[in-house]
Amino acid sequence: MQAFVQRRPLTSLLVVVLAALLLWLILAPWPPGVTATLGPKRVVLSSVLSGITLGALYFLVASGFTLIFGLMRNVNLAHGSLYLLGGYLGFEIADRTGSWLLAFPIVFVAVALLGVVLQWAVFRRMEGEELRQTLVTIGLSIVIADILLWIWGGKSYQILTPDFLAGPVELPIVTAVRSDGTAVYLRYPRVRVWILVAAVVVGVAMWLVINRTRIGMLIRAGVDDREMLAASGLPIQLVFVLVFAFGAGLAGVAGIVGGTFQSLSPGEDTRFLLASLVVVIVGGMGSIPGAALGALIVGLAEQLGVLYAPTYSVVFTFLIMAAVLAFRPQGLLGGRG
Amino acid sequence: MTPAEIDTAQRFGSVSAANALELRGVTRMFGALAAIADVTMTVRPGERRAVLGSNGAGKTTLFNCITGDVPVSSGTIRLFGEDVTSFPPHERIRRGLRRTYQISLLFSGLSVVDNVYLACRGVSRWRYSLLRPRRSDPLLARADELIEAVHLTRARDRVVSELSYGQQRQLEIALALAGAPRFILFDEPAAGLSPTERRELVEILTNLPRHIGFIIIEHDMDVALRVAESVSMMHNGRVFKEGTPAEIEDDPEVQALYLGGAHG
Amino acid sequence: MAVAGETRLSAADAPFGALGRVPAAVLAVAAVLLLMPAFANNFILFQVFGWTFILGMIALSLMFLAGYGGMVSLIQMTVASLAGYMVAILGPSGTEQISLGLPWWINVPVAILVATLFGTLVGALAVRTEGIYTIMITLAIAAAFFYFTRQNYTIFNGYNGFTLVVPPPLFGIDWRQPTAFYYLSLGMAALAYGAVVYVARSPFGLALQGVRDNARRMAALGYNVVWHRILAYSFAAVIASFGGILLVWQNAQIAPGTAGIPAVIDILVIAVVGGMRHPIGPFIGAFIYVLLSAFAPDVLTAFGLAPDRFKLLVGLGFLAVVAFSPDGVLGLWARAAERRRRRVDPLTGTPR
Repeated sequence: MQAFVQRRPLTSLLVVVLAALLLWLILAPWPPGVTATLGPKRVVLSSVLSGITLGALYFLVASGFTLIFGLMRNVNLAHGSLYLLGGYLGFEIADRTGSWLLAFPIVFVAVALLGVVLQWAVFRRMEGEELRQTLVTIGLSIVIADILLWIWGGKSYQILTPDFLAGPVELPIVTAVRSDGTAVYLRYPRVRVWILVAAVVVGVAMWLVINRTRIGMLIRAGVDDREMLAASGLPIQLVFVLVFAFGAGLAGVAGIVGGTFQSLSPGEDTRFLLASLVVVIVGGMGSIPGAALGALIVGLAEQLGVLYAPTYSVVFTFLIMAAVLAFRPQGLLGGRG
Repeated sequence: MTPAEIDTAQRFGSVSAANALELRGVTRMFGALAAIADVTMTVRPGERRAVLGSNGAGKTTLFNCITGDVPVSSGTIRLFGEDVTSFPPHERIRRGLRRTYQISLLFSGLSVVDNVYLACRGVSRWRYSLLRPRRSDPLLARADELIEAVHLTRARDRVVSELSYGQQRQLEIALALAGAPRFILFDEPAAGLSPTERRELVEILTNLPRHIGFIIIEHDMDVALRVAESVSMMHNGRVFKEGTPAEIEDDPEVQALYLGGAHG
Repeated sequence: MAVAGETRLSAADAPFGALGRVPAAVLAVAAVLLLMPAFANNFILFQVFGWTFILGMIALSLMFLAGYGGMVSLIQMTVASLAGYMVAILGPSGTEQISLGLPWWINVPVAILVATLFGTLVGALAVRTEGIYTIMITLAIAAAFFYFTRQNYTIFNGYNGFTLVVPPPLFGIDWRQPTAFYYLSLGMAALAYGAVVYVARSPFGLALQGVRDNARRMAALGYNVVWHRILAYSFAAVIASFGGILLVWQNAQIAPGTAGIPAVIDILVIAVVGGMRHPIGPFIGAFIYVLLSAFAPDVLTAFGLAPDRFKLLVGLGFLAVVAFSPDGVLGLWARAAERRRRRVDPLTGTPR
C-alpha cells in the first residue's frame, strides 16, 4: 500500500478525498441540497444497502463459478440451475421440517454430491477439452431446468424467514433529524444484514483457505498453470472434485438465501447465471477478491439503477461490463487476459 | 527475385549499406535476473551467423528481443540501419525479419500449400480479400516454389496434422522464407531430426539465396558449424566469444565451458 | 487429392471428406428442394422448411465464427433479433405508435446495417480475451439485450413487442404465402450457404482459419489478428441479420422472447448437433431440431409423458451428441465414411 501511495500520490489523494466524502454522506444527516439531487437519504441508503446485500448474494453464487473456471477452465453454465435446484430443495426442507437452518447443511451436501458425480463421472473424462465440458454444462442446464419445471411448476416460491431473523434492525446511521432534535435511524431487515455478514464470513474463509492452506496452494498453483500442477504428481483430480463440489454446494446454499429474501421461480437460474458471468467478467476470473468486488459493483449498479432509472438499469450493468471489457479485458482484479 | 521481393528491396533501400542487424548493449531483465546482459552484436547483410551456448545462456531470449515479442530492458536494436527497438513485432516483420520456432507453430487444420500461401499473403496487400485467388495468382506460384525449396512438393496438399515431425519442421522453414525476408532467425531447426533429415536441413539452409542473412541457434554443433560463417558464443546471458567456426572449435575456453570435449 | 482444373488450393474442404465431391447427391438434394412445393403441404413448406432455413442461417453464422474462427459466439440470435426488431420499428407494423412505416428498401438495408454494426461491436469487445471467455461475454451481452427489450417500451415496446410485421408485396406476391415464403427462405439460405463456402477459401477465410489454428504465428506472419476476428464477426452478423429479417416476417411478429436465453442456446445446440466442420452442418442440425419440435409432442404423448417435456428431450439429445459425437452429425458421417474407406480386401489390398 505504501508503494502505491508513493507511486501515485494524486490518485491516493483522490481516493482519500472520495472516502471522506462517502463517510460524511453516510454518517451525517443530509442538507436539503443533497436531498434534492439524490433523493431522501433513507431511500438512497436503503438502495445502497440493498445493493450491497444483493452483491453478497451474487458473491455467494459467483465465487463458486469463478473457482471452477479458474481451476478447471470449465465455464459451468449449469451454475444457475444448481442455484435454483438448491433453492427448491431448501424450500421443501424448510417447509417440511419447519427449520430454516437445517436446510443449509442438507442442501449443501446434496448439491455438492451432485457436483462430485458430475466432475468425477463426466468432466474428468473430458480433461483438457474445455469447450466440450462447457457444452455439457449447457446440456445439463437445459435438462435440469426442465426437470425443475416439471416438479415445481411455474409458480413462484418464497422461503419464509425464520422468526429469529425476522423484522427490521436499527442501524447506527442517521437518516434525518426530527423537529424535536432526536435522530431517526435507518431500519433495515435483519435477515439481510445477516446474509451480508454470512457472505463476508464465507468470503474471508475462502480467502484464508486459498491463501493459507496447502490445499489452497494447490488450487492457486492450478489456477496459474494447470500443466505444471498436472505434472507435479499431486492428486489434482481429487482437488478438482473438491472444488467443483464446493462450488456447486455454495451455489445451492445461495439458492436458499435467494429464496428467502427474494423468491424462486423458473428464470431465476438464468438470472443468477448471468449475474455470475457479469460479476466474474468485471471482477476477474479465478479471483475471489475479484468476485467480491465485481459482485459489489453489479449489486449496487442494479439497485441504484432501479432507483434512478428504472427502465434502463440493465443498461448500467451492461455498460459497466462493456467498459471493463474495453479497457481491462482480464477484469478489474484479474490476472491474465 | 519475385515482384514481392523487388518491392521490399525498393521500399527499404538496397541491401548493401547498413548492417542487417545491429545490437548494442541489449539487456533483458526478468525481475532481478538478467536473461541477456549487455549484448552487442553486428551481423552484415547475407551473413550466416550461429549463436551457440548451453541451456539458459539466453539464446531464445535474444531471439525474442530481436523479434519484439519481448521488450528490451535497455539497449538498441537496429534492423538494416533502422532503430526498431520500440517497434511491435509486425512492424519488424514488415521490414524483412522472419523467425522459426523451436516448437513448430503451424496451422494444423490446413494443408501445406495453404500454410505457405498464408505466409506469402501476410505481408502483401489485400489480406482481407473475400475473393478467391485465381489460378494464375503469382503468390500461389511463389508458394509452390517455396514448397519445392524445402523439399515438400509431394506433401503439398496434405493437412499439416498428417505430416511427420521432420516434414513439419521443413514447413516451418518454408513459412519463414515467405514474403521476401531479408533476415531470418532459425530457432533450433534441427531439434528432433534424424541424421538424414539433418543433412537435408543443412542442404536447405546452405542453398538459401545469398542476400538472405540469418542467425541460427542450435545445440547440434555439426549442423550449426556447417551452415554458419561466423559464430557467437553465449554464456550466462553474455556473448563471450566470436569468431569463425574453425576458431571457435579450437578455442580452449569454449571447449572447457561448452563443448566439454566431444561434440555433435 | 487436388482435382485438376479447380481454382481451389487444395481439396481439404470437400464436403464429407473421403467421398470427395459428390455432385450426384448434391444435385439430387437440390432437385428435391426446388420441387418440394409440388408434393409437400403448406405446413411442411412454411413451418418445417421455412423455419429450418431460418434457424439454419442463424446457426450458420455461429458455425462460421466457431468452425472457421475458433470463436464460439452466442450473440448470433441476438443479432438476428435486432435486425428483426429494426424492420418492425422502421417499417410498417401493427404497433403504430412506434413503427415508422418506412418502405422495405429503407428498413431492410438499415436493419442489416444496424445489426451488423452491433455484431461488430460485440466482436470488438469479445475478441481480445482468450477463446473460452467468448461464450461468457457473448452470452452476457445477449442476456442484457433480452432484458433491455423486455423493459424498454419507447423503442422496443417491452413485453408486447411488435405484431403484423409482414414482407412487402414485391412483384405483387404475398411473400408470406407458404410456397412463396418457402422459395424466399430457400433462396436466402442457399445464398448464405454459398457465400460461406466461397469465403472459407478466400484469403480472408483462410487467414481466419490460420488465426484459429495458431494466432501467434499469424501475428508473426504480419496479420492483424484482432482485426481479422472482428471482421469475421461482421461477416457472420450479415448472415444472421438476413435470418432475423426472415424470422420476423415468418412469425409476423417479434417479442423479447425471440432473443431470450433459451433461443440463444438453441442456436448453439443446432450448430453443435449438425456439426461445425462444413456449412451444411447447421442446416442439418436445424432440420433435426425443427422435426423434433414439430413431432416430439406426439412422440412424448405416445410414451405417456407430457408434451411439454420437449426441452428435456432436446437437452438429453444434446448431451448424447456431445458425449458420443462432439462434432455432430457431420462427424458421424465422416467417421462412417472413413470406416468404409478403410475396409480393404486383405488379400488384394483393393477397397471392398
